[in-house]
Amino acid sequence: MEAGLSTKNAPSPSIVLPHYIFGAISFLIATVLLLISSSGDFTHYMSPKLLSITHIMVLGWITMIIMGALYQLVPVVMEVRLHSEKIALITFIVFGLGVTFMSIAFWSFTFSRSILLEIGGVLVLIAMILFAFNILKSALKTQRKDIENTFVITSVFWLLITVIAGIIITFNFAFNFIHESHIQLLKMHAHIGVVGWFLLLVIGVASKLMPMFLIVHKLPRTLLIYSFIFTNIGLIMLTTGYYYINHQWFLILSSGLIILGIFFFLRFNLIAFRKRIRKNLDTGMKLSAAAFMMLGISVLFGLFSVITPDLFTDIQNRIDITYGFLILFGFLTSLVLGQTYKTLPFIIWLHRYKSLVGKFKVPLPVELYSDRMANIHYYTYLVGMLFMIIGILSNNVLALKAGASCLLITAILYNYNVFKIIFHKTQNNESK
Amino acid sequence: MNLNNLTHEESNILELLKTVMDPEVAVNVVDLGLIYEVHHNPDSKNIHVLSTLSTRGCPLGDTIMENIRVVIANKYPEYNVDVELTWEPEWNPDMITREGRIAID
Repeated sequence: MEAGLSTKNAPSPSIVLPHYIFGAISFLIATVLLLISSSGDFTHYMSPKLLSITHIMVLGWITMIIMGALYQLVPVVMEVRLHSEKIALITFIVFGLGVTFMSIAFWSFTFSRSILLEIGGVLVLIAMILFAFNILKSALKTQRKDIENTFVITSVFWLLITVIAGIIITFNFAFNFIHESHIQLLKMHAHIGVVGWFLLLVIGVASKLMPMFLIVHKLPRTLLIYSFIFTNIGLIMLTTGYYYINHQWFLILSSGLIILGIFFFLRFNLIAFRKRIRKNLDTGMKLSAAAFMMLGISVLFGLFSVITPDLFTDIQNRIDITYGFLILFGFLTSLVLGQTYKTLPFIIWLHRYKSLVGKFKVPLPVELYSDRMANIHYYTYLVGMLFMIIGILSNNVLALKAGASCLLITAILYNYNVFKIIFHKTQNNESK
Repeated sequence: MNLNNLTHEESNILELLKTVMDPEVAVNVVDLGLIYEVHHNPDSKNIHVLSTLSTRGCPLGDTIMENIRVVIANKYPEYNVDVELTWEPEWNPDMITREGRIAID
């Protein structure tokens, strides 16, 4: 195989596609539950229904699709073959069961009376250990020791720490062996997950893919190195700060370093965006651009959340929920929605048409889904997010219901496209 | 890059390669500037194409290379077609032709 080519390293679609199917259905379920809960469960982020929706979103939707996409992207970023497809399949099954058990336990509020949550948590932990092992073993084979790879590998370490912290919290619900506030532990767990796992992974993969999609070269990669250093130092400080120090100034300082890290990454993206040859953005890239804008807005809410915990006591919970909502339903969801259109059609296209290119007239990957539907759900998504944020901040049930309805429509249209792509039938009748 | 002094047959091959698209940007490989050299040797019945990709690790890389080989082999069945991948010089957006830029926009 020639160096730099990754198609031959691509895993079997039977490994990757179940992740997209599970993820798309999870997103649909989460939006249905969001609509059901939108009449008044947004008063505190520890409410069982919100915890259930959060875990369906974080694990079933975002992590599930990221895992599937990463199996496909490892050959792109690292130029190696995935270590084991068998482990990837076992990981999917164990993880899927774990997420399902956890979500049911949270929704039915049984975590103080049954061990369903603990079983689910342990299954998720096992799956994450298998996933980390698979990715790190693949990474060991790579010849490319660049900053993008470093981001991806570091994110996998943070993922393990996130899940271990989650397991400790889960068992602490039942046995109460750590006498810290659950809220503090939960904040630590959430921030390691969001910044350490999601953000570092997104930076690593996006800084490789975005220039490819936008057609732009010679970007200032030093910005990525700064981003890596500041984000990680800030995260280590924040994690230890929540547990050991818990002084306001320490949390502000560590948050500031993370924000500086995010700033360098956003600056890198902005330069790529301005220098791009490809001026017209397709729906996938428009959703990705919206994701980075929402990352910027969520940073502002995060600042409010950290700096002014006593200043706006009456609406502090609502600010915290808006901050979390913007990260999960905003930044990460928008990015996953957008990047689905930049990965899934190509996976299917390669599978269906790789052996036919040049011999027959074949459709382009973009023709495997309805761009009209994708464009409609781009707008329903943005409108939905706007209503939801207004609804959460003002505690307005009507706005929440309108927002949740728009997000449900988004999920339905997105699912339509995902299944249209996955069940695409090969078209090779027209001879060249 | 050496696409200036092409023979008539080599120009035909280059035109033929305009039917090979990069599936991501929907622009042909010639206008994207991915084709560096085309050599047609009627004596040895050999066609050699030197090409690159817009980025290392391109997920569609070997599909594009195979597409280049197949369209030439279909047109010149009696020839041995050799498509060589190179990373020197590294591709950059300045290599995109005027037509390619219009198509991308």
